[in-house]
Amino acid sequence: MFRLPFLFIITGLISFTLFQLFSLFDFATWLTVFGDEPRYPTGWFRVHLLVLGWATMIAMGAMYQLIPVVLQNHRLFSEKLGFVHYGFFAVGTAGLLFGFQSMQVMWIAGFATVAFIGVLLFAINIGVTLIRARKWNTITVSVACSVAYLVLAGTSGMLMGLNFYFEQWGDFHEQLLGAHICFAAFGWFGLLITGFSYKMLPMFYLSHGHSETLQKVVIACWNAGVLVGALSFLFNGPGWVKWSGLLLVVLAMLTYSFHLSQIVKHRHKPNPGVGMKWSLSLAHSLTLIGIIIVIISPFTPDIMAQSRMAVVLGWLYLWGWVGLTLLSYLSKIVPFLWWTHKYGPLIGKKKIPTMSDLIDDRRVHIGLSVIGTSLFMLMVGLSWNQPWMTSIGGSLLSLSSLFYISLIANVFTK
Amino acid sequence: MDSITECLKEVYDPELGVNIVDLGLIYDIQFAAGNVSVVMTLTTPGCPMHDMIVGGVKRALQTLPEVLSVEVDVVWEPAWAPTLMSDEAKEHLGYM
Ligand code: HEM
Repeated sequence: MFRLPFLFIITGLISFTLFQLFSLFDFATWLTVFGDEPRYPTGWFRVHLLVLGWATMIAMGAMYQLIPVVLQNHRLFSEKLGFVHYGFFAVGTAGLLFGFQSMQVMWIAGFATVAFIGVLLFAINIGVTLIRARKWNTITVSVACSVAYLVLAGTSGMLMGLNFYFEQWGDFHEQLLGAHICFAAFGWFGLLITGFSYKMLPMFYLSHGHSETLQKVVIACWNAGVLVGALSFLFNGPGWVKWSGLLLVVLAMLTYSFHLSQIVKHRHKPNPGVGMKWSLSLAHSLTLIGIIIVIISPFTPDIMAQSRMAVVLGWLYLWGWVGLTLLSYLSKIVPFLWWTHKYGPLIGKKKIPTMSDLIDDRRVHIGLSVIGTSLFMLMVGLSWNQPWMTSIGGSLLSLSSLFYISLIANVFTK
Repeated sequence: MDSITECLKEVYDPELGVNIVDLGLIYDIQFAAGNVSVVMTLTTPGCPMHDMIVGGVKRALQTLPEVLSVEVDVVWEPAWAPTLMSDEAKEHLGYM
């Protein structure tokens, strides 16, 4: 299977490029506006171009590619359904994005529904594959939970989209938004990345003999955190309940970080490639920031309640961890996809390049370092409301991202 | 038999850059009346390279004039362990 994951990954790369180009064209000034008031048409548009058009698209492609592998060569339920899913999801996302940017509520409501149907088809395809394979382990359970959260994120997204048009819910819309972000950011991306890491890290570090017990703790805490957080938003719970949700997710992160160190300790290959090393450092940094926030937030309720703070923390999580981890994984996933397609059938026949010949690890490292540094500048600019710093950081972030993504796309020419 | 082993050394794990013989993936080789049967494993169950490596083994062996047919059996017991690697493989991976 090559065409289906390839289609998703290429679409994701195009969305990512578009996002960066849009940002460059307005010298990242949209981010300054976003820092003041995130809920505005361009904000919705740019955020969803990144999280749906890019991250979710890439994640869906990677899942179609990796699920049969994780299930030890069990076939995907239906490749054809995968293409239908792509149709609904791509058209729905495109329409929704146009609706957001032009503030056409009819479009938002209609295409949010179409995108949601795409999400449902995806969930059916993955769900049936998993149920039929009956190989339940920490990876497949994490994947199943993450897809369930994507469905919940899509449901809440669609309901808000419909409410843009029907306007009948008043304050409940706001409560839905909180739950939507919990389900999507923490539920979908969180369990997806942690789950796949249990496969990716041991594979590239050639780790053997590590215990998998902590993976279960991560799954339990992460799920509990997402549910507590989302339900407390949905039913307008008090601040301490939301904080408890955060605490649970941070406990999960801490356990996850510790477990990754266990995997590394049992390695039989010192160099797993730059992408894997980055994903590891990112996980540890995320945990550190998470701990700091859990500790200081009860003492600074006013600061934490500001929308600027939500933007900074949300951006750090979504770009700093989800985005950068996906980018580092792409430096492994794309060479793997392409190598399998182009050189797989030639193994044993003639001398062929290895996977690491397809991408220059040194450049991957430079790319990710510059992206990380620009992101840091952007965060400083946003936190202290310094428009010039935000613009410089945001523009550098876009430039370095374009450089990086061209490295990834270049694999397809090898 | 030597030519069979030498031939299998042309089959590389594309991620690790080490051939499957030095990785210790080959458990047993039998050759009788033109038929080779190979019992082998992979570094981990659910190895993404499963089909390709098995296909590679078949293709490589079929290039030998004395080989008429090839049978490959992938087993998970005993599980592969890093200790099965040759010194060359360990050195290549920087693990000694
Ligand atoms: C089918 C999928 C989705 C649909 C239909 C959808 C729809 C929506 C809608 C209508 C809003 C506007 C809410 C408002 O401010 O009143 C929104 C906000 C938001 N969504 Fe989604 N969404 C989807 C998936 C996702 C995913 C996967 C993420 C990933 C994190 C996400 C993150 C966000 C964020 C952060 C906001 C707040 C943005 C802002 O205030 O500018 N959404 N979504």
